[in-house]
Amino acid sequence: MDFRKIGKKVYNFTTTVADRAKFAFVSIGYLFRKPRYLVVFILSLFVSLYLLSFFKDGTGNWLLLCSGLPLGAKIEVLGRVALKILENFADFYGILIILMSVLQALTIMLLVFTWRNREKDSAIDGASTGGIGAIFGFVALGCPTCGISILAPVFTAIAGAGAIAVAESVSRVLIILAFVLLIYTVIKLGYVSFVTIGAKKYKEKKHAKSN
Amino acid sequence: MQRAIRVVAILLAVGFLFALIMYNTMNPPKPETLVWNQGMTLGNAEEAEHFFYDYTDIMCPYCDKFALAMDEHLEDFKKEYVENKKVFYELRLTALLAGFHPGEAAVVENSTNSASAGYCAAEQGKFWEWYGWILKKLNNDYFSKGIGDSATATEHIPQLDVKYFTEVGDKIEGLDGEKLLSCTESDEARAAIGKNTDRAAKIVQGGLPYYVFNTYVSPGFDGNWEVEHDWKSAKMLFDAGIASKKK
Repeated sequence: MDFRKIGKKVYNFTTTVADRAKFAFVSIGYLFRKPRYLVVFILSLFVSLYLLSFFKDGTGNWLLLCSGLPLGAKIEVLGRVALKILENFADFYGILIILMSVLQALTIMLLVFTWRNREKDSAIDGASTGGIGAIFGFVALGCPTCGISILAPVFTAIAGAGAIAVAESVSRVLIILAFVLLIYTVIKLGYVSFVTIGAKKYKEKKHAKSN
Repeated sequence: MQRAIRVVAILLAVGFLFALIMYNTMNPPKPETLVWNQGMTLGNAEEAEHFFYDYTDIMCPYCDKFALAMDEHLEDFKKEYVENKKVFYELRLTALLAGFHPGEAAVVENSTNSASAGYCAAEQGKFWEWYGWILKKLNNDYFSKGIGDSATATEHIPQLDVKYFTEVGDKIEGLDGEKLLSCTESDEARAAIGKNTDRAAKIVQGGLPYYVFNTYVSPGFDGNWEVEHDWKSAKMLFDAGIASKKK
């Protein structure tokens, strides 16, 4: 085994990822200065935060909405979830939810940009990887102490309450995978956006010169 | 074309997972209606119109948020739900956390000892008084200090001596502490709790607390340790349970 070759490959990969991440940051900064993309980001962030907070403690809120409670009480359930978004800032688990929401909102903003700029192949790639990341993050939520998680009913239905320990371990792996996939998607789409923005600027300059 | 197939495959897989989660959430197993322990009930089963079963573990923080709010409003609950709405309420005390975390000695011991002590307090007819006392004690000593109070608590409750759950002193009139201790350590109490836990394991889907209020079934509790907030959340569950019978 040639460790030097492996080391070189790892070094090249890391520097490529680091470079692409820098380019992605630049394109995200550029898009934030465009009001329409900033609005997409803010809306996506709110929707993502709301959904993740809604299912933060398992399926309890969903079941209340499906219950025979009067409409007023159901609206109250929805309102309480909105307040829960603020509670996220108070604990580590909530901070994870906020970080995941930011990554999801960035992915959606970059997806909209790449799709609108006819980079449909990259957009589809990004949508599938980012989508899997978002789903993993969503199903991995819950309270490990008490076995509450979105995944738990599936595991317990298959193998009884003892399987909750398995659901917990799976949830932990999924939450890490969710972050890796979302970061990968943001870097990839951010890099594609950077190239697109560069090409656009070049065309604009060329057009201005020819005029 | 390949991309389209990949996206369709992902959508199908995700759709299947969600369908499975929703199906299992909406079709839970039916609980036994026979009373497990008369000492842990409120109301009269023979006259009741609504049957509420609450599967819990004293060491589960989410269960205790609900239980503390309920303890603070026990008289309101009795008046509004047990008397007016004819609710029969049964707390089904288990050591399920021991099953969820079999490799963690502190969780296994605390969960088993606390449930056994609860069983023994019920034997002396003082379960609700003991339950309120131990909930407040755990809250004062640990949960209120951020120890073992949530999903992401960095510090966990250490392995507690069995006496932690039985040294009531003169705080509960009519409850014999010595008798409580010897009963808690007995094989009989442990076997009873083991039996409860096995039975609960067949019913509980999606973790603790687990509420079966008439046909409304819900795991987890949306609480934040503020009694009034948590009482409101608890009332929503009770009302959803009552509404499930009207449906």
